[in-house]
Amino acid sequence: MSESPIVTPGPGEVMVAFRGVTKTFEEGRLRALDAVDLEIAAGEFVAIMGPSGCGKSTLLNLIAALDRPDEGACVVAGHDLTRHRDLNHYRARDVGLVFQLDNLLPSLSALENVEVPMVGQGRGRRARQARAAELLDFVGMGARAHVRPPQLSGGERQRVAIARALANDPPLVLADEPTGRLDSASSGRVMDLLQSLQRERGTTLVVVSHDPKVAARAGRIVHLLDGRVVDAA
Amino acid sequence: MTFLGLVARNLARHRSRSALTLLGISLGITTVVALGVITAGLEETANAMTRAGGADFMVAQEGSADLSFSRVPEETIADIAAQPGVASARGIFLHIVKVGSNPFFMLMGETPADLAIQAPDLASGRLLRPGAPNEIVLGSKAASDLGVGVGEDVEIAEGRFRVVGIFSGGGTWERAGGYAPLARVQDLARSEGAVTIVYVNLEPGADPVDTARAIETAIPDVVVVTGSGDYAQVDQGFTFLDAANRAISFLAVLIGGIGVTNTMVMSIFERTREIGVLRAVGWSGPRVVRVIITESVLLCILAAAVGSGLGVLAAIGVTRVPAVAGFLVPAYPIDIFVRAVIVALVVGLVGATYPAVRAARLTPMDALRYE
Repeated sequence: MSESPIVTPGPGEVMVAFRGVTKTFEEGRLRALDAVDLEIAAGEFVAIMGPSGCGKSTLLNLIAALDRPDEGACVVAGHDLTRHRDLNHYRARDVGLVFQLDNLLPSLSALENVEVPMVGQGRGRRARQARAAELLDFVGMGARAHVRPPQLSGGERQRVAIARALANDPPLVLADEPTGRLDSASSGRVMDLLQSLQRERGTTLVVVSHDPKVAARAGRIVHLLDGRVVDAA
Repeated sequence: MTFLGLVARNLARHRSRSALTLLGISLGITTVVALGVITAGLEETANAMTRAGGADFMVAQEGSADLSFSRVPEETIADIAAQPGVASARGIFLHIVKVGSNPFFMLMGETPADLAIQAPDLASGRLLRPGAPNEIVLGSKAASDLGVGVGEDVEIAEGRFRVVGIFSGGGTWERAGGYAPLARVQDLARSEGAVTIVYVNLEPGADPVDTARAIETAIPDVVVVTGSGDYAQVDQGFTFLDAANRAISFLAVLIGGIGVTNTMVMSIFERTREIGVLRAVGWSGPRVVRVIITESVLLCILAAAVGSGLGVLAAIGVTRVPAVAGFLVPAYPIDIFVRAVIVALVVGLVGATYPAVRAARLTPMDALRYE
């Protein structure tokens, strides 16, 4: 298959498709995902819900190509990730990740953290800085661009993490418990930002959360239980 | 953010640890440079000694453990002078004795006639006269160290000498010593009938290599020394010094490498999750490895700069010790500093190898799961 960036499908077309995906850990003793079939349309906002250990994060990690399924195929925009040779390129250009723990690099400023995914992607230093500044403005962190993560609040760090996820303008954004450690005001602001991406830019948004308020914002909720999809209506 | 900026930030995160590692490697480099500077200084002294008084080369006893132990029978001087291409041959007895604070005072025994042939530059007084066994011509440094001038007496190697002249030319080892009559020095050293070395001047147009070969063929048990490269044939000390230099350089690489490995491994363990984040946002394994190797090499290059400076200071300090000031002047050939940088690069690369391999083998998920 081509190693060029994936081509975003048109609205309503399939963006992510799981075909019989199984993922186990601990030498097969722990079945995190069990023959999962799932489709997510381009431009859709899907919330993945379920109890702890049901396979939510595993599902997200497979879409992000951070892990590989034991069986089945994980297809994004028609490309089977298990056969994709340049996953670094895919992770940098095609998918934006927001972790529960912001996972910002503490020695770099907010601006520099946003620059990180752009390094080696063909942009010069000035272009990277301009793009990072633009994204920090978008998430309301322009005034704190030169502050390092340890000096930022939890909500501020998560907004910087969102800006980093958008660095290469990916068609698909994945967020794993993005509000898990935030107060309700910060949670609302972070979710407003993510939702605006989906509404204004047509970004496909997949959010893993325990929080019913987060799920209420989604266009569709997928419920997982013991590694199986029990409700994807 | 630049690649080097990220590397520098990573090193600056644990300033104390980076500084201590840098200091540890620097001390290894200091040893390499100081030994190199001292060895180069000794080689220059050896070269100067080989060609003292404008000689083309010198002849000594083959296989001497130390040049001062060399014994060449006096009658051999005439045999050397008789070889084709030899213009003159002068026998000198080198007797190293402690005088004042200088434990390596070079008392050089030479006949007044030979001394006159290649006379040192006199600053005051005159050269030796025939039939005056208690006269000495002192080097300017020796005269200064002993605080004596022309016309004064000086006690050297259980002998009393009258200073008749002071010379200012020649190498440091010469200026820190003095010329006395050959027979008197042989008597003080209890080595009648022998000299230590024979200085040879060639006829114009004579080939030094052919002449040296002819001397070694015609005269048994002697060896021609044309420069510091031949010195090991008459002084095993050079061989030992060279071996010690290499061994210490190897140890510096080994110890420095272990120190850097330790620092980098700790750093990589602490940053495992960060490596996971970098991989998750699209950084390739080789790019992460480049960061680690550059951090290690940058640390070692800084250590090379610091260690080179400290090494030069250490060598200067050593050469100011009175015991060695008489025969050693530090020398700074560029290859010593090139070697220091090479040692630093090797240390940096060796030290980064394990942590880099470990980081390269981490999958993004393994790194992100690391606690």
